[in-house]
Amino acid sequence: MIEWPPTFVNPERLWVLALIPLMIAGYIFLVLRKKKTGMRFTNTSILGRVVPKQSQWRRHLAVALSLAAMFALSFAWARPNGIEMVPRERATVVLVIDVSQSMQATDVKPSRLDAAKAAALTFIKALPSQYNVSLVSLAGNPSVRLPPTTDRVQATQAINGLKLQDSTSVGEAVYTALAALQLAPKGTDSSPAPGAVVLLSDGQNTAGRSPMQSAAEAKTQGVPIYTIAYGTDNGYVDLDGKRERVPPDKELLTNIANTSGGQMYTAEDLGQLDKVYNNIRSEVGQTPVKKETTALWAGYGLAFAVVAALAAVSLGARWP
Amino acid sequence: MSVQPGFAPPPEDLGAVGSVLAEPKSATIPLHKLAPEAALRRLELTIVRRLEGFLHGDHQGLLPGPGSEANDARAYVPGQDDVRKIDWAVTARTTVPHVRDTIADRELEIWALLDVTPSMNWGTEGVTKRDLGIAAIATIGFLSQKMGDRFGGLIMRPDEIKRLPAQSGRTALYGLLRRMLTEPIVSDHTTGPYTLAAGVQRLARAERRRGMRVVVSDFLTPGDFELDANVAPEWERPMRELAVRNQVLAVEVVDRHEVEFADVGELLIRDPETDFERYVNTSDEAARERMDAATAAQRERVRVALRRAGAAHIQLRTDRDWVHDIARFVLAYRRTAGMLHQPPAGVTK
Repeated sequence: MIEWPPTFVNPERLWVLALIPLMIAGYIFLVLRKKKTGMRFTNTSILGRVVPKQSQWRRHLAVALSLAAMFALSFAWARPNGIEMVPRERATVVLVIDVSQSMQATDVKPSRLDAAKAAALTFIKALPSQYNVSLVSLAGNPSVRLPPTTDRVQATQAINGLKLQDSTSVGEAVYTALAALQLAPKGTDSSPAPGAVVLLSDGQNTAGRSPMQSAAEAKTQGVPIYTIAYGTDNGYVDLDGKRERVPPDKELLTNIANTSGGQMYTAEDLGQLDKVYNNIRSEVGQTPVKKETTALWAGYGLAFAVVAALAAVSLGARWP
Repeated sequence: MSVQPGFAPPPEDLGAVGSVLAEPKSATIPLHKLAPEAALRRLELTIVRRLEGFLHGDHQGLLPGPGSEANDARAYVPGQDDVRKIDWAVTARTTVPHVRDTIADRELEIWALLDVTPSMNWGTEGVTKRDLGIAAIATIGFLSQKMGDRFGGLIMRPDEIKRLPAQSGRTALYGLLRRMLTEPIVSDHTTGPYTLAAGVQRLARAERRRGMRVVVSDFLTPGDFELDANVAPEWERPMRELAVRNQVLAVEVVDRHEVEFADVGELLIRDPETDFERYVNTSDEAARERMDAATAAQRERVRVALRRAGAAHIQLRTDRDWVHDIARFVLAYRRTAGMLHQPPAGVTK
């Protein structure tokens, strides 16, 4: 696909296009001068009747095509950029990792957050490489940390870079995850990308919209939410010199999973998580990628040049 | 060891070939090459029609010089006519100076009309058609150099007709030929009232004395693509008019490549007279054959029209020896002239 007007890597080379009007002027000059030369012949009244009129369009066509070829090749030389649609896998797994303060509880070794990170890393390592991964941090203000990508290195870095934040808003995080799914490569129609959400949390919802409402929304969008609960009932965190108990809300996570059509896991049966991606259907979408279209323009130039050459050959009186 | 190339170098003198590309600047043949005067002395042009001079008999008379019998009045041409011959009565009536011609008795008066329209400035061999026409006039002039015979010329340009007065003697003939050769070349696309028909009409009406008339032209009418010999070309009627009183010899000059269309690839072809301009693929074998056939039909139409008009017809080609052709014509003409120049029914010989 060609973007118009295209941008160029070497726009200064476009100055050679100035030669084309010069060539047109030169051609017109030569045509006019040829009109002054030519052969004198006396008996043209008979000649005009007998000899078929030689049409000039092939001659002009050859010249026009040559100029078009020059135009296209000048473009190619200036290295234009275009937008190319690259086929990409749409299926996306959104990892939602809880980074609320409760996740620093050490009832799970080394801490709930580190355990969740390790689990996430293990998961994306096991995830077949064609699937996109997106990362959403779950806190009072959930945000998309990584738009859908197949780049595992970026995903690893994003997971390792997660920091603790205040508050927990599971519902909002699910909505954010659904929004992240929209960022997946566009398909041929506007249907949402097939995907799944893996929610690693201890579940204590403290803010935002209702998690059950978000789960119902995920259900209508056909996105199952697989939840993994972290922590034990004895978990605690020290906040502002005050020890607070942070038992995981396993009931909430189970409900979310069940409502959205997913499943609830515990940290122990992480090995069964392959079910997550096995249930996602694969779908290929297309992403626009900015790409140099030099070869395309050079191809146009070549095509024009070939047709111009054929037209020039056909001008020859002695066509075999 | 030197390798001989398979082609010869082009000749030093290209002759009139340049006229194919641009109009020639001057005559392509010098005066002394127009006709071998000495060789032509023994030939004689047969004159079969009765000439003027009712007291003195036919052509084979002896009396020389301009006569004393008054003829028609015609406009005075400064530098050519004797002032003493001005007819004051006619001048006074018309307010235009007129001279009264006198009828020279019984000598032959030949008038040659030379077509110098741009289409005559063309030739692919040694000479252009115009210069071939002048050479034909020279040859016929030398053939008719009998005592007292006078030779005059009309140069028909598109814009004017120049009259070269009829005089006797070879010096006068040389003067006339030189005037014709040095006549400025008519540049292409010159417009004017005179076509061949108008020129012939002028010749028939202005020169009243009976005699011989030579019309030198290519007999091509610009824009006339008729091939049917039954359709009269526009000059046929004036020619017929001319032939009523005179013995007419039509010299048709053609170039070889007018008859055989040349294979020179694809190129722009322009007409020196009309605004015809067209790219023509001359390498098209079928088109060349059609062109040659059409040209042959066109020449046949010229021949038939001249025959109908009662004119003798000789075709000269720039690639042939015109003296040879004219000599052959003259020898055959001795036998056929009587038949050929039968005046129309009801007209005395």
